[in-house]
Amino acid sequence: MGTEHGGTNVNRRGEAPQTVVGPDATADETSVTEEGTELERTIGLTGGLAIGVGTMIGAGIFVFPGLAAGRAGPAAAGSFAIGAVVALLVALPASELATAMPKSGGGYYYISRALGALPGAVVGISIWLGLVFATAFYLVGFGNYAAAVLAESGVPVGGSVVVPLALLFGVLLTGLNLFGTENAAKLQNYVVGLLLAILVVFLGYGGLDAIGVLGTSSTPERFMPFGPLPMFTTAALVFTSYLGFAQVATVAGDIKRPGRNLPLAMIGSVLAVGTLYVATIFVATSAFGSAALSGFGETAIVEVARAFGGRVGAVAILLAGLLATISSANASILSTSRAVFAVSKDALLPKTASRMNLKYGTPHVALTMAGGPTLVLVALGEVEVLAEVASFLHLVMYGLICVALLAMRRDEPEWYDPDFRVPLYPLVAIPGALASFGLIAFMQPLSQVVGVAIMLATAGWYKYYASDVSLKGVL
Amino acid sequence: MVDPSIREPPRVLVPVQVLEGQTLPETLVDFLAPAEVVVLGYHVLPEQTPTEQASLQFEERAKAAVDDIAHAFHEAGRDVETRVAFTHDRDQTVERVAADVDATAILLPNPVGDVERLLVAVRGAIDTDRLADLVATLVGEGTQRVTAWGVAPGGSGFDATAAVERVVEKLRDRGLAAGRITAETAESARPVADIVDRTDEFDVVVMGESEGTLWSVLFGDETDRVAEGAVAPVLVVRRSPDFEAEADPESESTSG
Repeated sequence: MGTEHGGTNVNRRGEAPQTVVGPDATADETSVTEEGTELERTIGLTGGLAIGVGTMIGAGIFVFPGLAAGRAGPAAAGSFAIGAVVALLVALPASELATAMPKSGGGYYYISRALGALPGAVVGISIWLGLVFATAFYLVGFGNYAAAVLAESGVPVGGSVVVPLALLFGVLLTGLNLFGTENAAKLQNYVVGLLLAILVVFLGYGGLDAIGVLGTSSTPERFMPFGPLPMFTTAALVFTSYLGFAQVATVAGDIKRPGRNLPLAMIGSVLAVGTLYVATIFVATSAFGSAALSGFGETAIVEVARAFGGRVGAVAILLAGLLATISSANASILSTSRAVFAVSKDALLPKTASRMNLKYGTPHVALTMAGGPTLVLVALGEVEVLAEVASFLHLVMYGLICVALLAMRRDEPEWYDPDFRVPLYPLVAIPGALASFGLIAFMQPLSQVVGVAIMLATAGWYKYYASDVSLKGVL
Repeated sequence: MVDPSIREPPRVLVPVQVLEGQTLPETLVDFLAPAEVVVLGYHVLPEQTPTEQASLQFEERAKAAVDDIAHAFHEAGRDVETRVAFTHDRDQTVERVAADVDATAILLPNPVGDVERLLVAVRGAIDTDRLADLVATLVGEGTQRVTAWGVAPGGSGFDATAAVERVVEKLRDRGLAAGRITAETAESARPVADIVDRTDEFDVVVMGESEGTLWSVLFGDETDRVAEGAVAPVLVVRRSPDFEAEADPESESTSG
């Protein structure tokens, strides 16, 4: 095939990467295509924050408090703070790259332009699969919460409804995105807003209680009952709950004033979510003590809410859990569709994948490639391993984003003119890359094997399908 | 102003939903041709669709449809500027382009036959100079009749009679024969609904842009509501940037 396409910059089907918007054609309100068509930027800072917060929020509150407190004691709050710092080490480089290249595609786009088509293809295609895995995980989480809400409200259901509920909701979300006119993205804002409101009330009440304003003051526990080391290893465990801030960059092409709003949305959502996580651990460990909390396991937060507000408190926090899984699943479906578009536009997947239909104005092929496999995975089960594989693939992307920043800064191509520059960038990007790759070492061997296998498969696909496509430095 | 000529040549922004198959009636093209025209072909996407993705697939089709409209104007003797935009928010795009080209007025299209009767609906502070420039340019050489109708709620502090008089005076300043202008006023608790009700007597409605009131945020822009209810196209006159500075004292007291 080398002789057939040698140096032609086309894939096996003869499709070449397409440039929609040139490097100098980006303004605050619009991008302008090569043909002079204006592409309006319509998502503001709130919309960007809703995507970032909505994707991330969840695990840190609804899965990890019990597990983390069992491992690190009250210092689990420190673990979440460390996680936020690591997330910032990646969010800063991602912000700089996003303001230099405010196009749809996010991490994939920067990596393919800075490091070349092969790393780009590996990240772009594997992040599609990673997002599918993550979506399946969120949907099963939704099923669990929905079943718990039913059980709490006296409807006798067993665990058997979890998967049907997850499937039903997966179909619903995919359908909403396929046929919804303008409500799918608005839904995200409302869901995140309501979720934040519930959490702020819960944490506010719990916080007052913990410092002794309400009820009796709880006995302070030693901050690091197991010493400082578990605080760091637990940070590796809970970092999963920060995955998703880079999803803001997948809508970069639609964000108003990208030079200002992209960094604010990415960094702001990490800070907002980190604050909520640390506050949650503080409230939870104050209410119960880490040993009791650990005994509750994954539903620890529900027991904390029950201690504060009885059944009403428990149901409220379960509803918050439902909203969190809905927002994460919905944001992930949207990101998947955009990830598929970005790689297909660059001819790494068949162009068909970026087709949209005029009647609904939605990218039906890409959305189906997001929702379809997700539903299959939910039906088959085994989503927990896949969720860790998703984290693995995200971490590879985060590490490579940091490497991409180093590469860009070293070469500084003429078009490279970010509005936001990371101060002392090597001191951010190098620890960011090391932390991202380092966290992979803490994962289960099975996840590591599956993750590496997926990356090798995507590399193989690139060699087979699009080895003549070059993307480095092509805007 | 000694010379009864146009103060500034009016420029009309014509937004058209090209991919929805919306077109401009030939009679409307002929009617607008005396003014400078900017045709904005736009397509509204749901927020889950990146505009880049839509432009990749539909840009050529949108451009072709806009070029067809431009060709129709060319036939009518007017070469127009064209713009094509993909957006998630129609109003944001139309407002941005209108400000960008400094449009005198924005057309909200509706079906229309021959244009013989214009309704100038005055329901609040309006940039009378721009309005007169626009109307006089569009109908100056023709035979169309213009009805200036002041309509406002009683006790609103807005002197509809005086406002209509100013409109008539400015139109005559710009050379429109007095016999072609009719002045009317009415008190109405529901000006928007009453304007909509009267649109079947007219072929084109001209009105001022709405002010950003709480009401318009809750129930939709007044001009949009007129355009939705009306059987005629609506030309919305935008205030010029220096409008407040040179406004008449009476209208200033109502716009405050």
